[in-house]
Amino acid sequence: MANAGGDKVSDEIHLKDDYSTYLFQCCVCLDLLYKPIVLPCGHISCFWCVHQAMQGVQESHCAVCRQPYYHFPSICQLLHLLLLKLEPVASMRRDREVMEEEKNRRIQSPQFVGQVALPNSETENSSSTNEGITSTDLQLVTENSSAHGLSKKITLDDALCCLCNELLYLPSVLNCGHVYCEACMASMAGEKMECKVCGVLHPGQFPNVCLDLDHFLEETFPEEYASRRQTALVKKSQHQNGDASSSAQGDCTSKKKVDASRFLDDESIHFGVGCDNCGLYPIKGKRYKCMDCKEKIGFDLCESCYSTKSKLPGRFNQQHTSDHRFKLDDSQLLSRFLIQTAAAGNFEEELDEEENVDQDGGNDENPNQFEDI
Amino acid sequence: MSSSLSASLTATGFPSGGGGGASGGGGGGGRGGGGVGARPWSSATSASASGKRIQKEMVDLNANPPVECAAGPKNDNLYHWIATILGPTGTPYEGGVYFLDIIFPCDYPYNPPTVSFKTRIYHCNIDSAGKLSLGILKEGWSPAMTISKLLLAIRSIIINPDPFNSLMPTIARLYLTDKAKHDEIAAEWTMRFAR
Repeated sequence: MANAGGDKVSDEIHLKDDYSTYLFQCCVCLDLLYKPIVLPCGHISCFWCVHQAMQGVQESHCAVCRQPYYHFPSICQLLHLLLLKLEPVASMRRDREVMEEEKNRRIQSPQFVGQVALPNSETENSSSTNEGITSTDLQLVTENSSAHGLSKKITLDDALCCLCNELLYLPSVLNCGHVYCEACMASMAGEKMECKVCGVLHPGQFPNVCLDLDHFLEETFPEEYASRRQTALVKKSQHQNGDASSSAQGDCTSKKKVDASRFLDDESIHFGVGCDNCGLYPIKGKRYKCMDCKEKIGFDLCESCYSTKSKLPGRFNQQHTSDHRFKLDDSQLLSRFLIQTAAAGNFEEELDEEENVDQDGGNDENPNQFEDI
Repeated sequence: MSSSLSASLTATGFPSGGGGGASGGGGGGGRGGGGVGARPWSSATSASASGKRIQKEMVDLNANPPVECAAGPKNDNLYHWIATILGPTGTPYEGGVYFLDIIFPCDYPYNPPTVSFKTRIYHCNIDSAGKLSLGILKEGWSPAMTISKLLLAIRSIIINPDPFNSLMPTIARLYLTDKAKHDEIAAEWTMRFAR
């Protein structure tokens, strides 16, 4: 008890020391963003904050603008690394806190194994076991930052577009967490929007510009940003009709309609279950469950991801490999649950019972949707 | 994966079994009423996150308090706050001091706090038990909402009652038909109960 109190006090001191700018603050936990996720509407939240705020039975809504979204996006690594540089001490504190919480819950957030694009490419040293990786990565980063005085210095290399390789101008983030200029993204938006880095299809609508990141870049690199704006304006005036962006807009509206209709009937919703590849949460349609993943959280795929066979690790750092076997699973089907409860009589009663059962035996069970996605 | 069905269902308030009771006032209050005590095992996990967030809000609230409002924990319980709102000038509630009870659920901020008026008030959106009909306390809640924003919202509904979404139909009718009379009674109640 005393220990916990002490921790809090030291945390507060830390907070005053290194994180008081309210720059890149998560609107949910009111702390520095940790493992940030950029929603399709362009608002940012922490990995766990988004996960916990998502709804298990229907579409979720952005905490800031209430725009509905259906997919749990991947962490934006560019922003994550940017924050590690910008607020090294606060990031380390957040890392410690989150690690501890994850240990208690026995689930993990993604650890960036072998994907971290550190400037000095130290990742090659640490690409085998999964446990030590984050800590070593972070140590390397901090060693770097303290040794070379990088702590507050962000270079242009940290904020490049994946496509044009220039400073991000009006950055938008795909579901896979990769960042592009809005214009670059519009240029590659066709029938299917596919990430040029990881090759993952972007589900849903054309993402909005992440304004927080945009403002930050404008302030950090005023000259480069101004020149980027200039060229963008010139390009825009050349393409008077703005064909690329208008087609993207069209895409956006049509896809929105499809999305909305998809959730109208909830017969095939697997509530509380998410797809570990595209992040669709809850899964609608067929759900494929991995039979070989040992993690408590499990590994599930939606129908379309099952048919494309992903190579990505799980959203929660599951050690899933391609030779694992899948089976169709309908145990979490919403319609089934509703029929059961209807048969049992009063729904409210059932809820109370369930709650009691939860309280008695649920010591290792997580309190709410803190499960799989 | 195996999600705890009941928890996720109550958390999302689905299916709405009568007036958002599951997600809003009733459900939240029931589960959050005891604060951490009701569910001892959860205090180790999510309650720490909610506690951290509530503490941050407390610091922020003290640094920039909202207009004519104040709030803080009652006694030592971080999950039970008391707030005061001064009757806004130019309204029949001017001069009154209104006390509110705020009870946080243990999964705050993913579910809204339960807010009730402790001081009686003649207002069509606040019933005799002190319950409020305010969208953002029910399905309109968002995790980005804070107590300071909530207090401002309550203050604004005191200034501009919403008679079409009322808990007290008689007051709402009077407000729509005879505002002068309504204001007179409200001012009288302010004198009687809120000083």
